[in-house]
Amino acid sequence: GNLLSLTLAFLPLVLTFIIRYRYYFVLFYRAVLVRMWYDCTTGLSREERAFQYVLTHAIPGDPESILETFDLWCSKVEFISNIGPKKGKIMDRILSEHCPLTVLELGSHCGYSTVRIARALPLGARLYSVEMDAINAAIAEKIIRLAGFDDDTVELIVSPSDEVIPRLRADYGLERLDFVFMDHWKKCYRPDLQALEGSGLLGKGSVVLADNVLFPGAPNFLRHVRKSGLYEWKIHRATLEYSKGIRDGMAELVYQGIK
Amino acid sequence: EKVGEEKPEVLSPEELEKLKEEVDERKKLISTLRGKPWPMRKKLESHEFVEKYEGALGKGKSRKLYAYKVMMLKKWMKFQRDFENFKTACVPWEMKIKEIESKYVSYLFLLYPCTVLLVLPGCLLFFNLAEKALMGRPYGSMPRKTVPRADEANAMDFAVLWDFGGYAQYSVLFYGYYNSQRAIGWLKFRMPLSYFLVGVGTVAYSYMVVIRTMARNANEDGGGDNNSFNFSWKMFTSWDYLIGNPETADNKFASITTSFKEAILEEQESRKDDNIHLTRFLRVLANFLVLCCLAGSGYLIYFVVRRSQKFALEGLESHSWWERNEVNMVMSLLGMFCPMLFDVISALENYHPRIALQWQLGRIFALFLGNLYTFIIALMDEINLKREEEEVLKLNMTIWEASLYNGTLGVNSTAPPITVHPADIPRGPCWETMVGQEFVRLIVSDTMTTYITLLIGDFLRAVLVRFLNYCWCWDLEAGFPSYSEFDVSGNVLGLIFNQGMIWMGAFYAPCLPALNVLRLHVSMYLQCWAVMCCNVPQERVFKASGSNNFYMAMLLVILFLSTLPAIYTIVTIPPSFDCGPFSGKSRMFDVIQETLESDFPAWFGKVFSYASNPGLVLPFLLLMVLAIYYLQSTSKSYKQANLELKKKLQTVSRTINKVLTLIQHLLYSLFMSSYLSSPLGGEHRAHQGKSNHQIPPSATSPPAPRGHRIPGPLPGNQWQPAPSVQRVPNSQRH
Repeated sequence: GNLLSLTLAFLPLVLTFIIRYRYYFVLFYRAVLVRMWYDCTTGLSREERAFQYVLTHAIPGDPESILETFDLWCSKVEFISNIGPKKGKIMDRILSEHCPLTVLELGSHCGYSTVRIARALPLGARLYSVEMDAINAAIAEKIIRLAGFDDDTVELIVSPSDEVIPRLRADYGLERLDFVFMDHWKKCYRPDLQALEGSGLLGKGSVVLADNVLFPGAPNFLRHVRKSGLYEWKIHRATLEYSKGIRDGMAELVYQGIK
Repeated sequence: EKVGEEKPEVLSPEELEKLKEEVDERKKLISTLRGKPWPMRKKLESHEFVEKYEGALGKGKSRKLYAYKVMMLKKWMKFQRDFENFKTACVPWEMKIKEIESKYVSYLFLLYPCTVLLVLPGCLLFFNLAEKALMGRPYGSMPRKTVPRADEANAMDFAVLWDFGGYAQYSVLFYGYYNSQRAIGWLKFRMPLSYFLVGVGTVAYSYMVVIRTMARNANEDGGGDNNSFNFSWKMFTSWDYLIGNPETADNKFASITTSFKEAILEEQESRKDDNIHLTRFLRVLANFLVLCCLAGSGYLIYFVVRRSQKFALEGLESHSWWERNEVNMVMSLLGMFCPMLFDVISALENYHPRIALQWQLGRIFALFLGNLYTFIIALMDEINLKREEEEVLKLNMTIWEASLYNGTLGVNSTAPPITVHPADIPRGPCWETMVGQEFVRLIVSDTMTTYITLLIGDFLRAVLVRFLNYCWCWDLEAGFPSYSEFDVSGNVLGLIFNQGMIWMGAFYAPCLPALNVLRLHVSMYLQCWAVMCCNVPQERVFKASGSNNFYMAMLLVILFLSTLPAIYTIVTIPPSFDCGPFSGKSRMFDVIQETLESDFPAWFGKVFSYASNPGLVLPFLLLMVLAIYYLQSTSKSYKQANLELKKKLQTVSRTINKVLTLIQHLLYSLFMSSYLSSPLGGEHRAHQGKSNHQIPPSATSPPAPRGHRIPGPLPGNQWQPAPSVQRVPNSQRH
């Protein structure tokens, strides 16, 4: 009797909670539960499954088709946090505005964003993609070559980002980075940004694009950007990749230099 | 010397006109003194000068009177100004409000007439003092003022006091304490009459104040045509200059951008109307879900009330705290959680935010009303129970009295009366005190729920978000759960309903308004602190309607609906026989009849009985209805005329605009031609060549999205003067 009336009184609250955060529950289901299920049944890792799918369904040599296949897989079968079509369009627009010649990408994961950037690069530009995990890097390499980009355009570096950045100037002969894309671990955004500033590879007008600054979010990074005063920054608001209701954003920073 | 036949004292009409014009001009000059850009001292001196000689404008004998009138008017205005300042200073939270307004913007903190809040408890406290100070009998002197012997043991227990039993029940807080003696003390203070009149008078005063405020607000609100020049209005009037906080400014910026995007989308969508059937279906579905929720909450309250009646029959002491307070807790919890559910369901409907807010407020209204009336119906049942008990007790009383005398006396003998201690006299169940107690308990539980929600839902949440954010995997501030938003309309509605409950219970628990003032003070400071420390402003700030009258209208409806039950009980149910100021009468309003008969001369009674004859009252009511209809139709026609005038004004200004643009074009072309044809221009014409029609290169790039960048030059500025000569070295030309 008592318990019944208490439960019924709290029922509207529970219902509200479920309905308001339904997208997060759906995301949890797709990103965690479905993944665990497939891991148990197939024995392949998620990235390998993705690669299998892309191999069988995409047209080799056509980056457009590879991206589309990837999008299809991510929305219908499983969830991988690539940059996604909507945010990808924003990134394409920024790239076409700035036409960078040297691009650094931190965290290529499966290679989706690498292919996307490489597709939008002008002639003679070069993309350096840093990936920490060796297995993922192997898959990314395969996908990049499948898309038809050779070593002149895209170079994949397999190493953690904090080790690579200080050595970029010495080992790879880079003078200045026109465009940096950050999509690796969110807690590494801020140290990596500071390392880039320290290494002197950012010049006036260099653009840094950081993904997922709202969900899962990189509060330290945003705080640093606001306080340092070195950047003109802007947050492009969009939705999280492959889901409709979760709000996310990409931070676009334009380096101004020390005043 | 005579100058002909003319009479120079009579002025011709033209001269009169001229004189009048000059006087008007001078008057205008004086009235603009205030606005002149002079230093303050000069203005004050000129003002004094004018005041001294102003009387000279009046003519002849009435000069002195005129000067006197003007001086009195000025003094009256000054007094009014000072009084306004005093009233503002008396409101202890004015500075805090300004601070919060700068952060939260928009209307707020419905401080509806502070006077209502202060006058209500003022009146009701007044005759408490009257009862005490003017020789009402103190505690313990009468059976109705004493705790019964049986309850004495635990009358001071905190648990009992918290439930408003024990000593709290037999105190000035409740109806049952008051003496029904017709005139008290040496002032012959008419206690029952004053109780009744104050009760009715506060209701009447509340009505008056609310309607006057509505009328005042209606004057300020112009008629509006909200649909033309949508984008221009948004462009030029969106910014709010009251903002004083950077976070709010950022939010406002984002919300203006969003509102532009929305307006563009709306414009696009209004051009195409596809899938209207889906929208309609979804709206019907949403309403159906809301009805289900309302029905469910009504049923739950009914179920809980039945249970509590069962418990009451078994005796309340044998049950746990939850079982005793179940009804109040369930009502408060439902009142808190169901609006959230409504909010979520309304996402289906896809309305414009303002309309969605109005629907939301309407639904919350229905919820609270349903809950309150279920509660009242349950209360009615209890009242009937108590009245049956009373009948039984009256019988028992006669038996008890007879047993006191033990049958030793005959009917007509006069023996000394046996003194019995007031605590031992059996007394009737006092349904009015019970009603008062229920309302006070309801208000207390509502207050507790509000405070606890504030502490847990706002403060605890803010603490968790702030300190867990350092070690959590996702950004707690930006995503779930983030800081709670301050919901303006929900809070205002809560205030309005709280006031409704006060109005309902004030007749039976006279100190209730005073308690409520205390509670509102504490609430205000608590909420101020919470709002500045734990809340963030809402992302999209918009009003429920164009004017403040929306909430006032709601307040009026609540006033009507909550005084209805109180008036019903006063008129239909006979008062208890041994408690309260109307004990012994057959109806509460008999006190008026009594007063008319005994305190006023006979003719007054006759006049009153004629005036209250239905034959007179009904035609009067009919006349009032007709008057209302007439006033309504005239006001509608005025509004119409107003709108048409506005439209005419718009067309006129548009034509003027066009003419001005034309003139500008003309002037520009004239200037160009004169520049080109002058000897200075002729030399450069050869150089102009290619660069003649070149727009400066800086304006060709498309405007970059305006984030936090320094804005670039405005594109396409066609009023720039002719481009300066390109320094083309002469060698290229030849």
